[in-house]
Amino acid sequence: MNIRTLPIGVSPFDQTRAMSSSGAHPTEDAGYWSWQMAAVSERRDRDSFMRIYDHFAPRVRLYLRGLGSTESQAEELAQEALLRLWQRADRFDAMRGSVSTWLFRIARNLHIDRVRREPLWQSIGEEWIDEDIPPANTTERHVEQTDLAARIDTLPAVQARLLRMSYFEAKSHQEIADELVMPLGTVKSHLRRAFLKLQSGLKEFP
Amino acid sequence: MSPRHHLDETTVLGWASGALSPEMAAVAATHLDVCRHCRSRLATAEGIGGTLLEQQQPSTDDAMRMPHLREHMLAALDAHPNRRVPPRREEATAGPDNLPRALHPYFGTSWRSLRWRWLAPGVRMIRALRTSGHALILLRIDPGMSMPLHSHGGIELTQVLAGSYDDELGHFGVGDAADLGPETLHRPVTSAGGPCVCVAALDAPLRFPGWFARMLQPLVGL
Ligand SMILES: [Zn+2]
Repeated sequence: MNIRTLPIGVSPFDQTRAMSSSGAHPTEDAGYWSWQMAAVSERRDRDSFMRIYDHFAPRVRLYLRGLGSTESQAEELAQEALLRLWQRADRFDAMRGSVSTWLFRIARNLHIDRVRREPLWQSIGEEWIDEDIPPANTTERHVEQTDLAARIDTLPAVQARLLRMSYFEAKSHQEIADELVMPLGTVKSHLRRAFLKLQSGLKEFP
Repeated sequence: MSPRHHLDETTVLGWASGALSPEMAAVAATHLDVCRHCRSRLATAEGIGGTLLEQQQPSTDDAMRMPHLREHMLAALDAHPNRRVPPRREEATAGPDNLPRALHPYFGTSWRSLRWRWLAPGVRMIRALRTSGHALILLRIDPGMSMPLHSHGGIELTQVLAGSYDDELGHFGVGDAADLGPETLHRPVTSAGGPCVCVAALDAPLRFPGWFARMLQPLVGL
């Protein structure tokens, strides 16, 4: 199903949200996946990797289709993103971010590089992460990720919707404004407020 | 380098979500490359992306295709054992003649090879070719010049690469970003010393009032 074909009044993301809250233990998710990932990087544990694959590959495909990849492009790029996680497992440090964020970044870069064919994205961005994020204690990171999920759930409906349109359709803020018949300044101030709210309480690195 | 003027929250979000035009992204990248504060905010914005990705709920339809893809992945694990990749060290920080790497696709790699075009007394410019619809320009303005008052039809994202200027919003030096909305009206004045060089992405024409506009706009083609 292509989420773009849904009538505009019914946000597919609100449905997603309602469904996901019934899922398994969200408070343990980030910790669970980092733990699986640690088994991959330390012991090249295939079972752990395939658990990550089974959970995340369909999510990455869904994300890529939302960005405008065709079905087969989304499959190909999702496989490549997951394979990259396997190949670069030793560079994945559980203390420097979650598996979901890592995959999000890789999938986005692959889409922009291969589908949109913008040259900038393969070379830039990865080393910003490697160099910059100071090791935090693992529990702290999981609390942050869980905290972020909880904060997203408490955003006002319009802010949550704009955020999801921006992330899952990679629409420019102008395109969102046009689609919703909303002034650009209003779209931006909603997004700005949403970001500040999500950011507050998260530790900034020095 | 510790910039004092940063990217707007919406630009950080736009980068994280892949929503910036290539030209805006190129200017944002020149800032992110030198600004730890904005990289930290970007890490948060990408964390939001990861959280939203995690919250996606794939349909059972999608799961149907899994066995076939899963087999391919298992085969790929054998073909690609994970390997130790030494962290990449870009040659980005090379010599002083090197332009910021995000600008290479548009302006080449070397400051010395830039072919500046005369625009007005004390003002030179290069406009990038092969852009997506947004304009990307390098501006080189002599020291002590006062630019005319102008506003922007849309968004203008500017990064200072050399020299500095002052306007109604403050002092902008090397590393600073000016992330301006359509409502901003400003009159930049470049500082004494060396020329001020900026890279700017614009999503709509600059609006200069009066004679300067009539003289400049046909030349700039913005
Ligand atoms: Zn900054």
